[in-house]
Amino acid sequence: MRKIILFFQIIIILLPAALYAQNRTISGTVKDADGVLPGATVVEKGLPTNGAVTDSRGKFTLVLKGKSNTIVVRFIGDITQEIPVGSKSYIDVNMATNQHGIDEVSVVGYGKTTRITNTGASSSINAADVREIPTANVQNTLAGRLPGFFSQQSSGQPGKDASDFFIRGVSSLNPNGNQPLIIVDDIQYTYDQLQQINVNEIESITILKDASTTAIYGIQGANGVLVVTTRRGKLGTPKINFRVEGGLQSNTVTPKFLDSYQSAQLINEAYTNDGLPLPFTQNDLTLFQNGTDPYGHPDVNWYNAIFNKYTYQTNSNLDISGGTDRIKYFISGGAFDQNGNVKYFPDPRGQVNNNYYFTRYDFRSNLDLKASDNLDLRLDVSTRFSDINEPYDQSALGEIYDFTQTNPFTAPFLNPNGSYAYDYSSFNPAHLPTINALLATGGNENSKRTDYNVLFNAVEKLNSITDGLSLTARVAYASTEQYSTITSSGVDPQIPSYHYVPASGTKAAYYLLNPNGSYVFPTYNVAGSNDINDNNVNLQVFSNYDRTFGGVNHFTGLLLLNQQSATTFANNTIILDPTTVGQPSNFRGASLKVGYDYANKYLIDFNSAYNGTDRFAAGHRYGYFPAVSAGYNMNKEDFFKNLFPVFGLFKIRGSYGIVGSDAAPGNQYVYNQYYLAGGGYNFGSTQQGYGSYYEGALANSGVVWEQQKELDLGLDMNLLKDNKLSATIDYFHNIREDQLITPQAIPEIIGVGLPAENLGKTRNQGIDGQIGYHSSIGQVQFSTNFVFSYAKNKILFEDEPSPAYPRLARTGQPINQPFGYHFIGYYSAQDVATIDKYEAAHGGSNIGDAAIGVPDNGEVIQPGDLKYEDFNHDGLINVLDQEAIGHPNLPNTTLGLNLQASYKGFSVSVLFQGSFNYSFILTGTAIEPFQSQFQPIMEQAWTPSTAATAEFPRLTSDPTTVNSPTFYPSDYWLVNAYYIRLKTLEVRYVVPTRLLPFHLSSGSLYLSCYNLFTWDNYNKYQQDPEVQTNTVGDAYINQRVINFGVMVGF
Amino acid sequence: MIAMAGCKKAETFPVDHVSSYYVFNPLDSAGTNAQAYLYSIYNELLSGHNRVSGNYLDAASDDAISSSSTSQVTILATGAYSSVNLPSGEDFWTVTSNSGLNGFVTATSSYWSAIGYANEFINNIGVVPVKGSLPNGVGERWVWQSEARFLRAYFYFELVKRYGGVPLLGNNTYTASSNLQLSRSTFAQCITYIVNECNAIKDSVITIQSGQADNYRVTQGAVLALKARVLLYAASPLFNDPSASNTNPYIGYTNYDPTRWNLAAQAAQDVINLNAYGLYPSFRNLFTTQYASGNNEIIFIRPVGTGTSIEADNAPVGISSAIGGGITSPTQDLVNAFPMINGKAITDPTSGYNAAKPYTDRDPRFAATILYNGTNWLTAPLATYNGGASRPLNGQTETLTGYYMGKFMYYPEDTTQTTFASHVEDWVFFRYGEILLNYAEAENEAAGPSPAVYSALYQIRARAGIPAGTDGTYGLGTTSDKTALRLQIQNERRIEMAFEEQRYFDIRRWKIAETVMNQPRMGVSINNSGGTLTYNYVPVLTTKFVAPTMYLYPIPYSQVIEDPNLKQNPGW
Repeated sequence: MRKIILFFQIIIILLPAALYAQNRTISGTVKDADGVLPGATVVEKGLPTNGAVTDSRGKFTLVLKGKSNTIVVRFIGDITQEIPVGSKSYIDVNMATNQHGIDEVSVVGYGKTTRITNTGASSSINAADVREIPTANVQNTLAGRLPGFFSQQSSGQPGKDASDFFIRGVSSLNPNGNQPLIIVDDIQYTYDQLQQINVNEIESITILKDASTTAIYGIQGANGVLVVTTRRGKLGTPKINFRVEGGLQSNTVTPKFLDSYQSAQLINEAYTNDGLPLPFTQNDLTLFQNGTDPYGHPDVNWYNAIFNKYTYQTNSNLDISGGTDRIKYFISGGAFDQNGNVKYFPDPRGQVNNNYYFTRYDFRSNLDLKASDNLDLRLDVSTRFSDINEPYDQSALGEIYDFTQTNPFTAPFLNPNGSYAYDYSSFNPAHLPTINALLATGGNENSKRTDYNVLFNAVEKLNSITDGLSLTARVAYASTEQYSTITSSGVDPQIPSYHYVPASGTKAAYYLLNPNGSYVFPTYNVAGSNDINDNNVNLQVFSNYDRTFGGVNHFTGLLLLNQQSATTFANNTIILDPTTVGQPSNFRGASLKVGYDYANKYLIDFNSAYNGTDRFAAGHRYGYFPAVSAGYNMNKEDFFKNLFPVFGLFKIRGSYGIVGSDAAPGNQYVYNQYYLAGGGYNFGSTQQGYGSYYEGALANSGVVWEQQKELDLGLDMNLLKDNKLSATIDYFHNIREDQLITPQAIPEIIGVGLPAENLGKTRNQGIDGQIGYHSSIGQVQFSTNFVFSYAKNKILFEDEPSPAYPRLARTGQPINQPFGYHFIGYYSAQDVATIDKYEAAHGGSNIGDAAIGVPDNGEVIQPGDLKYEDFNHDGLINVLDQEAIGHPNLPNTTLGLNLQASYKGFSVSVLFQGSFNYSFILTGTAIEPFQSQFQPIMEQAWTPSTAATAEFPRLTSDPTTVNSPTFYPSDYWLVNAYYIRLKTLEVRYVVPTRLLPFHLSSGSLYLSCYNLFTWDNYNKYQQDPEVQTNTVGDAYINQRVINFGVMVGF
Repeated sequence: MIAMAGCKKAETFPVDHVSSYYVFNPLDSAGTNAQAYLYSIYNELLSGHNRVSGNYLDAASDDAISSSSTSQVTILATGAYSSVNLPSGEDFWTVTSNSGLNGFVTATSSYWSAIGYANEFINNIGVVPVKGSLPNGVGERWVWQSEARFLRAYFYFELVKRYGGVPLLGNNTYTASSNLQLSRSTFAQCITYIVNECNAIKDSVITIQSGQADNYRVTQGAVLALKARVLLYAASPLFNDPSASNTNPYIGYTNYDPTRWNLAAQAAQDVINLNAYGLYPSFRNLFTTQYASGNNEIIFIRPVGTGTSIEADNAPVGISSAIGGGITSPTQDLVNAFPMINGKAITDPTSGYNAAKPYTDRDPRFAATILYNGTNWLTAPLATYNGGASRPLNGQTETLTGYYMGKFMYYPEDTTQTTFASHVEDWVFFRYGEILLNYAEAENEAAGPSPAVYSALYQIRARAGIPAGTDGTYGLGTTSDKTALRLQIQNERRIEMAFEEQRYFDIRRWKIAETVMNQPRMGVSINNSGGTLTYNYVPVLTTKFVAPTMYLYPIPYSQVIEDPNLKQNPGW
């Protein structure tokens, strides 16, 4: 379509231009983010017939005739620019994309649509806008840019830092039932495969959100669809772009831990509270404080000792594209290298790289061939080689958080003679060598992975049958293989490590070998395994129809047959294990799409799919998923034009339909019952193990897909001149039925595992959209885009037995709603006396004490413990006293604000992204004393003198008291969080063409930043705000990246 | 289209999934897979070693406490449990995995699953044409079926002794669409069912362990031993209330019938009459010697194999060559229960007990059950005085009572051994010693003190190493008072079967838990002043027991809300 329009424009512009006589000649170059821009139109303001089109190198020459002395530059999909020429004879024009032009083309399933003709809910971005964001994964670039897109990035580990994402939140109680379908060039990809794609190869990214856009995917469409298209060659001489960039990574949050002196004081305080003898004497404390005994009383900041503050990443991309009438090509290669933040520890055996790192090499060749006038062929080949490295069996950050692993006072970094020390403290019963020893000599785990994709496509125009008809056949093959090598040095404690005992009296200093250690290093043991071997074949045959009758009656149609067979193999699975993925999955179906519009005014689309998968028993495999949508471009009506001339576009649209989700939890073949291998049992006088089988979970032969009824009402508006202001707003209301969940209301007496059944029902509704504005003041052009997403779900039915108190009901709450206790203060000494008095009068039991409850763990309450509301007044704090606290971990509101400004060759773009209405709670080594390293907040623990201002419960060495968030989750520990991030910042300078050396056609310099600043609302945890709830919070911390790059075009 | 037609039909589902047909195969005369299914039912039997959150269940009785303040067994000891937090180690109703400290082979399912597996087997084994039969002509498949019925009866009894009457399912198996809103069967119905099952299968199981693969399968002795224990419990005051005041049929009989003791005595007598079992001469080595090595006291066990896990969990701390976990701290109460070598209680003025040397000249079972200060333990005499190697008082897990458990372990009585020796760690469910004590107790209750009662007790004491004495009573003396003898039998049961998961239930069925568990648990604090030891007896834990509520467990909250017909036990 785009090319046809272009062709007419060229004719319209060139014909009249030849008729006028010359006056003053100016020339110039037009560029966009990808380099020079062939095919842009340049006209003189006030004389629309006087114009030129840029050539294959983006150059134009125009003779000015009128008086405006201003040129207007247009390119489809870009913001139109008016540029005063002044007295210049040469002008560089830098174009920026316009998200909201009425002709803006966006990709939908098996086709394209424009803003004016679209009747469904979808949002898209041009990948050029996110190409320079310094992250390895495309999904990390989308937060805050696409309405309806929700994501969480819970790790910053190189190669494992892809965000989890959801479209319009979550709707299913089935934990596997919320993943959006991912479609790259009309072929289904996995999450894993998506994160391997180099953003440089991507042309556009679209998310499909409502039934009318996803019904064509039928049984797989209910969670929304992420559609990616890759770049293709364009008519013109070869265009070469080379981009190289390098960046510094650092933590978004750096945890601080207390030093030896502070920790020892708090340990003594806890032991005092517990009535135990103190581990540290006053002399110990003094030596910790003055640091005069660095080996006997060490004080090591292990965080600083193990991690670098900054580490680097680099990214290089080269792409060549161009085309002739017969062949068009896009060929690209990329190299990405992201280093981890563990320091290098020189060691005699340091042959093994123990750091985290990720490298990836991508290659893509997209070819379009015109075999004949009626036959178009297309061959896309892409492959990606990646390499992920990490220390073997070590979580470097986790071990620093872990109090039982190491402490600031536990061992020196190295002994005086340079040998490794080991944990010589009663708090570290395992007596492991220090972390630097483990990292330097423990070995690594290295995963090499190859992704390979081929797509062959043939389109035959069937104009001989009827105009506008074509037939396409497509076969795509994808495979992923991963091989991991583990180089380990066996059992950790065997690493030679010593405790240094200084000289005393007549006794010379000596070194005490670790009781579990040996004097020599164990040899490395190398083991390898094929972790992943996935294959996927996809066949598609479809027929397209697109014809306009009488200039106004526009018909489109699509009939698609689609079949996919995948086999998934993952290693480390036990034979007969229900979670084994060594199994095939097959999908087959037909889809039909029919569209009609009258003069772009009245639009109606019908989409449907009849498809199924082998996840379900024969007879229950196929479902029919229809959707209908309609749009009304009111601004095409005369009455509307007269009333509201300000609108360039005013379209109301709506859709309703049914889509499905075929993901079953756990065993993917719910209809198929089988028996499992159990543990061995010994018989015989010399005991011998015998294998066993036992009955697996029951089958559900009637299992079918989940289905979602989706209603979407939308409004698309463009206002003011040149569509300066635009807005899209969608309201949605989805009901997900027949969700595959395990029945809950069945008592254990059934004596056998239960299959998933189509039981659950939820509602998910919300609103999302964006408002954009662009304008210019003088030569400064600016644009803003505000994106908002809100999705709130509610469980309508989940087969929940009626709880003892309505407060405990999950039904009516959002999916994954946390439950816990309600904090009402710290127990005071008087509370404890009251409890003691009651217990003395009631046989030592507090049961029945309506005034004040005690926790049900049998431990004696002390002043300074966390006091929770005893809702049922039975004298016990137990799970019957819980209530819904906070929000689910996935934010229900996401906002993004993108601001851009440019002046001549300079441009700045920032994206603020915020997430609201979510909660998290952390446990174990993240926050609990004697499991976690001592953290600054623990200095504000409750003591009798600080009772009024305490920020933390009394310290205790007992890990199971009421103060533990693991055993007593509560709103004391839960954070109702929000955050706002300066997610990306980009500053660019486009070098004027005349200053470019070596015949370069374009060149630019840029600074791009990722996660630059974060504002959040909590101080309890030292964590990135995207931390997963209920974890020990020791994931690799998310990274801030400051990146500098150069791009040149030939 | 052509491409679509070319797609193979193979592998339309995971071919490694094993179907019911594969397991219960009508063509398999060896019955290999069906037998493997039977073994998975066996696999639901739990070893009691450190079973409850890493502790022996006895650490929730008056015999011991856990050395770890965080162990869930303490929730049982301190009566802090409720229908929502019964420790997982004792929740056989809903909890689907149990594991001890050092990974003893443990069950993966609740006992309701175990019963369901057994029913599946019982219903389906008939189709498998297994060859072979017992000498009495019972076909092998029916032998296997009887083993499954025994295991099912055992699982039921484990539920009944904790909860009272539970729903009896018969041979039914269920699906999600079945009506599962079942009511409880009465206690009486449950006992009748279990006893009838035992009667029905006693002649269709192997009579004696023989041959490699048959060792440790269910035997006739095991069936009769289960019946003897069931009837003993059913006759006990908790369920057979002499005041006949109980009106709730789920928690016990609603009448009092003293002849239930006669049934119990006869059931024990039936086992004795098999003449297949006897007491193993060494009490100390009883648990570390297998049947094949001449130990014919063992009737039914959970085979575990050999290892040193019991020592790793329970042996004293502070021995560098053999580091123990010291998790179990036997109480002074248990120590005081052991008589002197002459068989007389330490409270008897004629016993010869010397408070300054409290461990001298005690019943040999004392040294075989408890590791105390000065006893020979591996390399050196054990030091559990305050500050001693095995009681450093440094805040780490170590004895809280001054004693460690020594039962089930293998160690010589001198100091020649430096490290733990690997030994058999089987868990004994039924042994002949228990049968004798069951008989003595039931017969005394049924008919009062008699030579038959005393004979059983004498056998136990003679094997323990207590001399018969000049009066030939092994220190027991003679009495015609049923109540006085009852107390002696109860004490004998306590010391003979300490840590064997008996005491915890015995104090309940005798209804003495409300007395003994509402006293503080005591330990010893030994001060060593230049070799002079002084013994102070100190409280170490305040245990609690709320009567009558805690005589039975609460049915888990989740089950009561899922099945409103399940009537909760009183008080919960």
